[in-house]
Amino acid sequence: MTQVRTVILDNGAVQALADPTHRKHRRVMAIVEVVAARNLRRAGSVRLVVPTAVRVEAGWNRRAAGAATLNRLRVDDHPLDAGAADRASDVRSALAVPVADAHLAAVLATSAGPHAVLTSDAEDLRRIADHLGIPLQPITL
Amino acid sequence: MERQLQRLLDLLDSPGDDTVGTSVRLPVNLRDAAAVAAGMGLAASTTELTVRGLREALEAFAQRAVLDAHYAAHPKARPDLAEVALAAAEIDGNPLAGTPEVVRRAAAEVRDLKDDPTQDDVLLYAAGLAAAAA
Repeated sequence: MTQVRTVILDNGAVQALADPTHRKHRRVMAIVEVVAARNLRRAGSVRLVVPTAVRVEAGWNRRAAGAATLNRLRVDDHPLDAGAADRASDVRSALAVPVADAHLAAVLATSAGPHAVLTSDAEDLRRIADHLGIPLQPITL
Repeated sequence: MERQLQRLLDLLDSPGDDTVGTSVRLPVNLRDAAAVAAGMGLAASTTELTVRGLREALEAFAQRAVLDAHYAAHPKARPDLAEVALAAAEIDGNPLAGTPEVVRRAAAEVRDLKDDPTQDDVLLYAAGLAAAAA
C-alpha cells in the first residue's frame, strides 16, 4: 500500500465534479479532500490531473462561464501534445479504446506514480494498465 | 475573502514570465543544501527550488480555500469524515476500503477520543477495530 502521487479524472469524474447536484459529487469531493489534506501536509505531494481529451469529451471549456467551479479546484491539464498523441495512438491501436481513454493511458505512462483514476469504467482502465504494465488504483464512481 | 481568493488564483494561473529580484532570508543549512543539490544535478538552482516550493505551498493553500468556499456555497457538497477516510483508503488501495462499515464506525467513535480528527486518525482506529475483530 503506497500513497498515490497522481489522481486522474475521467469523463464521469469531471461530470460529477462539475455539478454540485450530481449524485456522485460528494464522492468525488471526498477524493479532492484527501488530495488537499495531503498537499497541505506536504506541498506538491499529490496532483489532480485531467487529460485534455477527457476535457473535450466532458465538455469542459475552461473559458466558459459555467466552468468556474471546476477551474478553481486546481486540476492540472495534461495536454495531448505530439508525444502524448503518439503514445495514445499506440494504445488505441492495441486496445481499441476511445480517444479520451487512450490519452488517459498516455498520462499514466508519463506522470508520477503511483496513480489512482476516478472512473465510471474500471474494466477498460484495468486493460489499459495491464497493457502498459503500470500498477493502478481504479476508483469506481 | 472571495476577492482575495480570486486574486490568489488569478496570480497562480498567470503565465509568470515576468520575474523580480527579491531579498529572502534563508537558513544557511538550506541554502547550502540547495547548492549541493544543484551541484548533483538534482535541481537547476536555488532559485528554481525556492520558486517550486513557494508555488506548491501556495497551490495547497489555494486548494483548501477553494474547497471551503465551495462548501460555503454548497453545504451539502461537503463529504463527512467517514467519506473522506474511505476515499483515502480507496486511493491508496488500503484493504479498509472493502469494509466501509468499519470505517464509518471508526469515524463515529474517534470523534469521542480526539478533537478535530483527521482521515488518518480514522483509518488507524479502523485498522485497530479490524484487527480486534480478526
